[in-house]
This record gives sequence, C-alpha cells and structure tokens, in this order.
Amino acid sequence: MKLIEALNIISKTPGDGTPMNVALICGFTPLHLSAFLHAELNKCFPDNKIILSTGLYGDLLGNLNAINENKPDAAVVLIEWADLDARLGTRQLGGWGPRHLKSICDRVSSYLAEVGRRLDQASANCPIYLCLPTLPLPPLFHTYRWQASNPEMQLRGELFSFASRFSNNSRINLLNIQRLDHLSPPSERLDVKSEWESGFPFSIPHASVVGELLAKLIHNPPGMKGLITDLDNTLWNGIVGDVGAQGVHWDLDHHSQSHGIYQQFLRTLSEEGALLGIASKNDPANVEEVFQRADILLPKNCLFPCELGWQSKSRSIGRILKIWNIGADSVVFIDDSLAEIAEVRSAYPDIKCIQFPCGDHRGAYKLIEHLRDLFGRRSISQEDALRLNSIREHARFEQDGQNDENGFSEELLREMKAELTLSFVKDERDGRLLDLLNKTNQFNLNGKRYTESSWQDYMHRPDTYVLAVSYKDRFGLLGKIAVLAGRTDGNSLWVDTWAMSCRAFARRIEHQCVKSLFDFFGAAQILLNYTKTTKNIPLARFLKEIIHKEPEGLLTLSRESFLNSCPKLYHQLVIPRNADLTHV
Amino acid sequence: MSSPRERLIKCFKAVFPELNEQEIQMASTASVANWDSVAGITLLTVTEEEFKITVKPEDLEQLSSFELILDYLNSEKLVASNAAIS
Repeated sequence: MKLIEALNIISKTPGDGTPMNVALICGFTPLHLSAFLHAELNKCFPDNKIILSTGLYGDLLGNLNAINENKPDAAVVLIEWADLDARLGTRQLGGWGPRHLKSICDRVSSYLAEVGRRLDQASANCPIYLCLPTLPLPPLFHTYRWQASNPEMQLRGELFSFASRFSNNSRINLLNIQRLDHLSPPSERLDVKSEWESGFPFSIPHASVVGELLAKLIHNPPGMKGLITDLDNTLWNGIVGDVGAQGVHWDLDHHSQSHGIYQQFLRTLSEEGALLGIASKNDPANVEEVFQRADILLPKNCLFPCELGWQSKSRSIGRILKIWNIGADSVVFIDDSLAEIAEVRSAYPDIKCIQFPCGDHRGAYKLIEHLRDLFGRRSISQEDALRLNSIREHARFEQDGQNDENGFSEELLREMKAELTLSFVKDERDGRLLDLLNKTNQFNLNGKRYTESSWQDYMHRPDTYVLAVSYKDRFGLLGKIAVLAGRTDGNSLWVDTWAMSCRAFARRIEHQCVKSLFDFFGAAQILLNYTKTTKNIPLARFLKEIIHKEPEGLLTLSRESFLNSCPKLYHQLVIPRNADLTHV
Repeated sequence: MSSPRERLIKCFKAVFPELNEQEIQMASTASVANWDSVAGITLLTVTEEEFKITVKPEDLEQLSSFELILDYLNSEKLVASNAAIS
C-alpha cells in the first residue's frame, strides 16, 4: 500500500462505528507506521471506529506501563534493537568497537528481562501483539558482514529465548518474522535518511508490510472449516480407474511428491479439527483399494463423507455441505480440472475453488502455503478434535432413519442419555467461548462479534452473566457447543449474545438453554436482542417456533408462553457449583 | 497524466483532508494550523512517493507552502533528473 492510499482510507472511513482503542507502542517515532496500521485496521474492522494512540518517543518501558492504566482493546508492541541498547541503532553515537560489545550484550539481556516483566503485567489488561526487531543490526562487529560473530549470536539468542517465553501465552501474539522476511526483504527495510531526519527508521514499503501483518495478527479472521478434495491427479498422481490402485503414486521416485505433501498436509488439517471430504468421479472399490495401501499418508478415516460416483461434483458437494451443516463460504474445494471447478463454482459461488497444480512442484508448494493461511488458527481446542466424530454420528442417525424431518426422532431423543453441563463461570481464559461467538453464523442471535478485550470487558461487568453449555450423550462428547451472555434488569433477563455450534442442532439444546435461564434466574420474561443476518436462519426458525411469528428486532418471551411452546426435554443437567453470579 | 499541480493537490488532500482545493493552493505552514512537523514529514513523504523523487535534507526548510513545493517540483534541476514530473 502507498502512504497516500493509507491516508485516504483513514480520512474516508466513517467515524460512527464501535470504538476500538489500539495502542501502538515502540521506542521510535511511529509516523507512517501508525498511518499504515490505522488504514489496515480500518480494512479489517469496518464496523469499528479505530482510535490509534501512540506513546512518548524513546520511552518503550513507560509506554508499556501505560497499557495498565489505559487498558486499550489491543496493544501493538514493536521492539527494535535500538530500544534494547541505543548503540544498536544509528541515531545515537554511544560507541561501537570491541570494548563496548560485552556491555551491549549485558544491557540487552537485562533490558529484555524488564520488557518481559512489563509485558506479563500488561497482558493481564489487554491482548498484546508483539513484533521483534525487524531492522538489521548495524555493522558494529569485527567480522566481515558474511561472517556471524559471537556477540551477534549472543544477542540473537537472547532475543529468541525472550520470544519463546511468550510464544505459548495466549494473551501475547507474536508476529511471524518468517512471513515478514518473505514480504519485506531485510536489506530494504532501514531508511537511514528518514531515521536521521525524522526519527522514523522504516522504509515506506517496510512500514506498509509491518502495518498489514500487525493488523492481520489483531484481526484473527475465522479460518475455513472444511476442505473437499478430488482424488485423481489431486490426492494422488494418475487416474486410478485407468492404472489401478498400485499405479497411482505420490512420491519422489515418480516425480509426484507434490501429491504426497498434499496428503501429509491434509492429515495435519484433519488433526487440527478441519473437516475433510471427497468429491470424486470414481469407482468406490478402486478408491478403497488405494486407501488400503500401506504407504498412504492420509488415512480414509480422516475423510468424511466420501462422495464417490458419477454424479456432478456440485451434487456431491451439496450432500457434503448438508452433512457438515456449514455454509459454502467456509469451505475450500480442490480439483485439478478447471471444468469441474467451473461447474462447482456456478452452483456454489461462495465456495473457494482452487485448482490443484498437477505436475507443477512449485505451484503445489504455494498451494500448501495458501491453505495454511486459509485454515490457520491461533490454538487447537478439545472441541476441534471432537468435530469429525460428532458429524459422523449425526450422519449415521440420518442413514439409520432415526431422524424425522425436524431432527432426531422423539424415541432417540429420549434414549440418547443427553447430558448438558451449564456453567455460569466467567472464565476469561476460555478462548472457546470467543471462538463460538466470532465464528458461528447459523445459530447466532445477532451476529455480534467481540474482540478479546471487548469480551473481557463485557464479562467483567457486574450486571452480566455468561452461560457456557457443554454436551455429551451415549454416542459421544460434543464438548462446549454454546454460549449465551446477557444482563439482569429487575424481573427481566436480557440475552445480548447467543451462539451455538451447528453440530449441536436438533437436540433441543436451544430449548433447554432458554428453560434453564428461566429456572436459574427465576425471571418472568427474557428479552432477546435479535437481529436478522444473512445466515442466522436456523436461529430465526427456532424463535419462530416459540413465538409463533416471524422474529424481528428485540423479542420478549414470557415464561408461560415459552413453556407452552417448548417440546419435551430429556437432558440431564449438570450445573457446577462455582457459578459466578454473586453480582447478578 | 495529470499536471504536477493536480498531483500535488492530491497529496495535500490526503494529508489535510479538511482543506478544499482552493485552500490547498493557498496553503502554507503559517495558514494551516494542522501543518505541524509530523504533517510536514507526511506531506513530504507522500509527495516523494507521488513524484518518485528524493528531496535533499537541505531543501526541506524552503518547502513551506503549496506554491513553494510546486516551484520546487517544477525546478529545472528536479525536472531534468525526473522524467515522471514532465
């Protein structure tokens, strides 16, 4: 992005959204970096009014302390070598040479320890987005520039041990230096003219890339949920119907390593909780034989459902989407044939279609990198591991005819020994709740999204409650599948936000949630802060069922009318004793 | 391609969005309250980016109004070294 584009984005963004306070903390004058970061944040958060604040020049530690007082929604912390010791920059002339090197290393070590302490404190007050030094070290070591010196390695070692300390802290997110290296060549980052004239050390292209990546780091977009793959010339090289199961390959010897690495990567995605399915025009018996091979890298049990046959790909994909119960815009389809891709795209314009570059090693590796970005996630939860199994079970019920048109049959609901755990504990470390609120579309009361900070603020309010719902039955565990949050107001109970995973549909969990709110709080009525979105149709259907009309805007639900509409519920309820409702 | 004047107006508009075109062409450090040191550096960087030039540090102080910057961009020395302006 050019600086003029960034400035135009900032000036043209309407300032009427929900305020989002972001602190940009660094030891240098942030100048154009703040413009790029501001513009990129405007792009990532179009519904927010971005308020970007910067601290005092040269006072990194003081600016870190200010986080504890100001409590912004997010704090971006950039550390450059010159912040750790001014002699590692070029604006101050404190001396280089061999006699300074030990004291430089010692100072960097002690300064990093102090920065670490303050980051620990600050991270309790807001999420931190940390960027380690991006600029090159100046030529202060005695070696040629092509030889690494011991002091330089000591400095880098200190830095990496500092970074590794925070890499497992969910409140401190590190910018990936490898990605930065890819997008901003290290030799073109420092602008000494700018640094010496204005105190801003970044070249414009470098500032643009750093701003973009930091905004992405804060944004944390919801990743894709499912991938549907073709088989011939995609999952493996060759057409199994022509050459047989032993004739297809995915290895170096047959120059088909790209298919092997693709299989390996899909297995990784599966273990991380992504849904994988197959849409292939093939004879099921041939495919089965390939999956029996000992050298297959992606076991068949990672893939469900497998749509094999001669129907159109779009039809196969329609069936897979129905079983997964997710929107096409959360799914990637990969096929080597442009004709198949065109056919699928015409039926499902929202699906992300990518051609597998068969025979193009570099293209295949780029595809893997691209998929990493599409399916990235900050952490892996217990629910991610449960997802595929619960979908399989659900599909099995369908195949066994145990579903009626509205969901599971009454007989099955009665006998499935469903157990719901209703936790009213406000656990700010529970990232699953925020994941549910920000990634659930279909059963979502109003589509409201939260930043980590705004969710924490909401939870900390004394008049609010948070209900986290976990589910299991005799067929298995679904884990934490729903979250409701709201406020009390006399005899009324407000529900401000409500999201439930699509895996939990058809079990009357939503009815039990509402009933439990009435029972738990003794409320006479519940006020649901409903907003129609393009996707919350299942939730609207549920509301229509209990209020007997199309839902619209704020809905008032009396206990009596709800109980009259509520079908029979069979769940056994577990309510942990440490419910945090003392103020509600 | 737009004239240097039009391109410079675009640069000013990005840095001082509150000014209209007429005000921009009369703008100077004395007349625009928001033209502080940070705005000055930003304006200079945007202008360097737009005209693909590098302003010498010793020339910075003289660039204190729209007309002076335009004169500077049109100066023979700069025009000779930068075909993008013509």
